[in-house]
Amino acid sequence: MNFALALVVAAVSGFIALSYEIVWYRVIAFESWGLPGAFGLLLAAYLLGLAIGSRVAAGFCKDDVKSGDRRQLRSLAIFALLANVAAWAVVPFFGWTAKTGLDWPAALGLVVVAAGLLGAILPLVAHFGIAPDGRAGQRLSYVYLANIIGSSAGSLLTGFVFFDIWPLRTTGLAVALVGLALVGALVLLSDLGGARRSQYLVASGVVAVLLVALTPRAYDRIWERLLYKENFRDDTKFAEIIETKSGVITVTQDGTVYGGGAYDGRFNTSIRSDRNGIMRAYGIGAMHAAPKRILMIGLASGSWARVLQHLPGLEHLTIVEINPGYTQLIEAHPEVRGVLHDSKVEVVIDDGRRWLNRHPHERFDVIVMNTTWHWRAHITDLLSTEFMTLARAHMELGGLFYFNSTSSDDVQKTAATVFPFALRVYNFMAVSDSPLAFDKSRWERTLKTFAIDGVPAIDRGSESGQKFFDDLVTYADTINAAPEAEGLESRDSVLTRTRSATVITDDNMAAEWRRVFRLQDPP
Amino acid sequence: MRAWIYAVFLLSGFAALLYQIVWQRALYAIYGINIESVTMVVTAFMLGLGVGSVAGGIVSKDPKRPALLLFSLVELGIGAFGLVSLQVFHAIGEITLGMTAFATFVVTFLLVLLPTLLMGSTLPLLVSYLVRTQKNVGKSVGSLYFVNTLGSAFASAAAVLFVMKSAGLQGTVRAAACLNLTVSFLAYVAHRRTGAAS
Repeated sequence: MNFALALVVAAVSGFIALSYEIVWYRVIAFESWGLPGAFGLLLAAYLLGLAIGSRVAAGFCKDDVKSGDRRQLRSLAIFALLANVAAWAVVPFFGWTAKTGLDWPAALGLVVVAAGLLGAILPLVAHFGIAPDGRAGQRLSYVYLANIIGSSAGSLLTGFVFFDIWPLRTTGLAVALVGLALVGALVLLSDLGGARRSQYLVASGVVAVLLVALTPRAYDRIWERLLYKENFRDDTKFAEIIETKSGVITVTQDGTVYGGGAYDGRFNTSIRSDRNGIMRAYGIGAMHAAPKRILMIGLASGSWARVLQHLPGLEHLTIVEINPGYTQLIEAHPEVRGVLHDSKVEVVIDDGRRWLNRHPHERFDVIVMNTTWHWRAHITDLLSTEFMTLARAHMELGGLFYFNSTSSDDVQKTAATVFPFALRVYNFMAVSDSPLAFDKSRWERTLKTFAIDGVPAIDRGSESGQKFFDDLVTYADTINAAPEAEGLESRDSVLTRTRSATVITDDNMAAEWRRVFRLQDPP
Repeated sequence: MRAWIYAVFLLSGFAALLYQIVWQRALYAIYGINIESVTMVVTAFMLGLGVGSVAGGIVSKDPKRPALLLFSLVELGIGAFGLVSLQVFHAIGEITLGMTAFATFVVTFLLVLLPTLLMGSTLPLLVSYLVRTQKNVGKSVGSLYFVNTLGSAFASAAAVLFVMKSAGLQGTVRAAACLNLTVSFLAYVAHRRTGAAS
């Protein structure tokens, strides 16, 4: 009976501990814009807490208190109660430290405390459920297994189900309530007498009610707090929030999209009122004569896809997007919704690299990636020499690979090293195995003829429209000028300028680890 | 002797976390970083550790079996696998790319089964050894879990602050493998000393 109870407590505590870890992981990912160092330091804080907790708990395991002694369930209940309250408070604490300007590193302090309290449970359970005899190791292995099964269930249920159906605050509260149910069960099974037991149960119940009552306030506009930080005001509120198991997408009141907390573009397809660098999408027309098949990795706001969809001569646009929440977002925005309702356009929900690996026979005239920041976790998978080699294998003869370097010298050097022909277009790299140019006459023709749903991109009927057109056409001449951040730059110039940069490989992950600490300025 | 074991187990935890970081990254590069793949890889790791824990528990049941020697051999095995792990992952990954999600999970589980099984077995092995001398399960588990997890916490911070940047994936697993071999040797020394003392 006692051993069975130990197994159940180990499983439930494993479920709670891993669920909280997943919740905190999502929060720090959003606040840090997916900084690899933030994940590593969160894990370090979590493990440090578990370690300290288990060490402290060892002090509560007295030699004279033998296995099965139900007095120990009291200690367990107290640790479980404190652990849940502390763990529940971690998310609001992240919000508070963000507002004070201390940012996510300061919030790791409470992660250590909460994980410490959670970490105390396993040794206490082991001491309660396992006799100190020759079979202790074997019995511990079952307790440990139960803990791992509970953790796996936490990973699956919280990460896969709760995140897909509930907002963060509901998930945080649900996990806390599971923890408090464990506290109640431990109190019921402990050695406490009638009146004391009732007091303990009432106290646990009061804590549960308090958490339910406080959660809406404590978790109020948590994503806004994490993004806007010290700029958060009483009236700060996102226009849209989409939370799914694949991530969190938020849209500000001015239509700026943030994916997992990182800037991910704006809703705009107009080259005249270009507030998202959409000119770079139009630029494809200057570099490839007539792309028929285009692959786009990453959908985001759908603005780029909307432009590509209208390139003259396009027969098929394949879009691979990892987060299905973006299709939900785009469906709600009339200016880009058309992307999802065009027989030429196919949207696939998958990891871009895996999709390429799994479709070795697909070939494209153009592969486009408006890649996220070069320092975000796992971005190496899309920026390494190995990935560029994979992309090359999917390009038609004369094909173009065009992607955002987010102004990283490492990324630009990698692209210009892997491909014999390269060009920097603003912060994008255009690369190919065939000669490549930003052709002025093609650029002029593109700007003249480009129309979205029959509406010309540039109305040259007005004087200002004609002037805008004339100025934009001269962008093609910037290749002949000294390199500027927003202009064109030749491959030779890129390679000379990035001499001290590192070619990114899957192994060195150079762009991700160049700077460990990179605190984001709030919008 | 107890302090010696704690130090050894701390290093073991350090190496284990380096592997976890590198292997997860390598598997994500092969199978993707969508939530399905991430969950699959994490679950495979956990199941492997769980199975290893049970295996270690069964082995530790017999007091005649030398727990420290077994621990030494387990660390040797982890180190040996670690040295070739990335090559194995890539080779198997290329073959299995087109498989269904369930088949991919099974392959991932089998890929990480051997090392995680070995890793999972270390705690029960050392707990059984310490309980025999200490006669206190809570203290034994708490202390061993403390040093092992502390080692992992240090490894996580070290990986972020300098190991990944300076060593890359291959260099990191080599460093972890060297640690395993060191731990194996130190555990063997402890085993010999214990034998000599008794």
